Amino acid sequence: MFELILQALFSGVLAGGYYATVAVGLALVFGTMRVINLAHGELVLLAAYIAYAAESRYGMNPVAAIPFALLIVGATSAAIYGLLSRIEEDREINSLILTFGIGIILTNAILMIWAADIHSTTDAWFQDSMVIADTLFAMRAEVVFFVGGLALMAGVYWWLNHSWQGRAVRALSSNRNAAKLMGVNPRQTEVLSFLLAALLATFAGIAIYTGKTIFPALGHVMTVKAFIITVLAGLGSIPGVLVGALMIGVIESLTVTFFSASLQELAGMILFLVVLFVSPSGLFGGRKALAR
Amino acid sequence: MKRTLTQLAATVALGVALGASSLAQAKEFLLGSELPLTGNLARVGQGMHEGIAVAIEMANRAYAGKHSFKVSTIDDETNPAKAVAAVERLIGDGAVALTGGYGSNIIGPASEAAQKAGVVYITSGGVTPELTARGYPTFFRINNSEGYAKAMIGLLEDMGVKKVSVVYLNKDATTNLAKQVQSALSAKGVTVGMHEFDAATSDFKPLLNKVKLQDRSEAIAMVGYENDYVGILRAAKVLKPQVKAVVGVWSLATAQMAKEFPDLMENVYGTSMLPYPVEFTQPEALEFAAEYKKLFNKEPDYLGQFGYVQTRLLIDAIVRAEEAGTLAKGGLADELRRTDAQTLIGRVTFDAKGDNTNFSHRMGQHQTGKVVLVWPKDAANGAMRFPGVPW
Repeated sequence: MFELILQALFSGVLAGGYYATVAVGLALVFGTMRVINLAHGELVLLAAYIAYAAESRYGMNPVAAIPFALLIVGATSAAIYGLLSRIEEDREINSLILTFGIGIILTNAILMIWAADIHSTTDAWFQDSMVIADTLFAMRAEVVFFVGGLALMAGVYWWLNHSWQGRAVRALSSNRNAAKLMGVNPRQTEVLSFLLAALLATFAGIAIYTGKTIFPALGHVMTVKAFIITVLAGLGSIPGVLVGALMIGVIESLTVTFFSASLQELAGMILFLVVLFVSPSGLFGGRKALAR
Repeated sequence: MKRTLTQLAATVALGVALGASSLAQAKEFLLGSELPLTGNLARVGQGMHEGIAVAIEMANRAYAGKHSFKVSTIDDETNPAKAVAAVERLIGDGAVALTGGYGSNIIGPASEAAQKAGVVYITSGGVTPELTARGYPTFFRINNSEGYAKAMIGLLEDMGVKKVSVVYLNKDATTNLAKQVQSALSAKGVTVGMHEFDAATSDFKPLLNKVKLQDRSEAIAMVGYENDYVGILRAAKVLKPQVKAVVGVWSLATAQMAKEFPDLMENVYGTSMLPYPVEFTQPEALEFAAEYKKLFNKEPDYLGQFGYVQTRLLIDAIVRAEEAGTLAKGGLADELRRTDAQTLIGRVTFDAKGDNTNFSHRMGQHQTGKVVLVWPKDAANGAMRFPGVPW
């Protein structure tokens, strides 16, 4: 039983790492623009499909496809920002409808280009087993991208706290008018946070392509999961996203071990509701949550 | 001379009259098809859609000059409510019958809408017993979970395993099939561990760890879809449970899986009507394969075969009903019930509930990039590799 629990905790932490890499981009955009980008999961999926195309057509390693994926996902992300920035009234509600629609368009574009078949990397290195301390097992891709994801999130956190642009993002998140008076260019800062979210989405997409399977309907599933984690964290909080994602990953994994795999989503939702009941603004909530 | 000319004129007039009469009787029949072309079941929906398209092409050739057929397809987006709306719209547009549907939970309400309108609905995409248990006179299907269970149970029996872990998706059809396998194996003295999972499961390691440390089974039986199989096999490859075989059902022993996941599929078993590379011998099967390749530039798979068979049987029944003058009077269902045909998936007849009780699947095993039929013995084109796992 001890072995089972240990493996469940370890798998849960790794799964949480995946969830966090997807959710951080969503939280960052919300923090800056007060907009929930419901097409974020589709951006992650787009990166994964570009890695698939690079690997299947040109024999490239999925990691080497990151620059190409970043270019396309960044351009798509900038286009989404361009549309969002044109909304003049009721930005929060209208942006939900707009990004939901963009998500559907992206899903169908992926379906038309790459068909409905499932794909994953054919590079066996990523799927090989890693034995950690005799009793803990993981797929190499999970460990590599978990560590990479943590490093990336730490980098984003550091950037938000220590760079001028990062502070501008936080300032905009805290008080838009005051930030403008302090010389922050809102448009430039918003574009920057969108591009940073595209970088995170690209990384998450490559991680998913190497460790899991991809199919056109997956984007929506990822958006919903990322949205739940973002709300659980406290809208806009980056450390909260990491903690929330790890909590969801571990609770799901323990539910599989002690109860049934069919109840893991329910367990995640119960955790979500309990946290919101105790702390309605989430784990690290509040309007000024970004990078806190 | 005058008499000869009169005879010639009469013959020509008769010929023209007969031709005109024949043209007057030639009809174009519209079939309706409601399928998940997007959403979670898009892959399987598109596979069936391809088979339907092949059936339409071949029927138009077979009945050329007599009748013609076309199909109107609506994407149900893997959504039961949209499937019902699609069925109602297709019937409103004048479809004489419906072919398609995927997922028992979607086919249920969609075929109910067809039943209310008195329109025939034929499918191969829903295998749960509840669908035929309703006894709808307009509902038909060419396969069922019994046929899949029979193959999985037969293979596991031949292996002589005494402990099996069944890992299954918690949908209607998959749960039914898993429970059929459980009860049949338990009755034969096999210890069966049941492990249910949700469609959102992406990490199967905690579940497979239970199989490894608690069940300590000799075989893993998977009942799910492609992405579930890949997740389970990847987790198994990481944890390496001491099993001798990994067996699954639909969407597993396919050319697509052999090509996409060569490292994961080796030695894995799944239901398969034909080996891969496909070996067709019958004239109809050869024509089907050629048409499929022409339309889609790829080898036909089992989804295409099922979509083709159900649609071709429907078309043949439409023609028979039309010729008997009963099509407009609701005679199509009776005509389908009179069907007794040897098809690409074996013999098809329908019982009073619309089920094809002859249906029994075969089992194939991935062996060095090919799918070799290994069960039953009379259909096998190779021997099973047992014990054999992909790690």
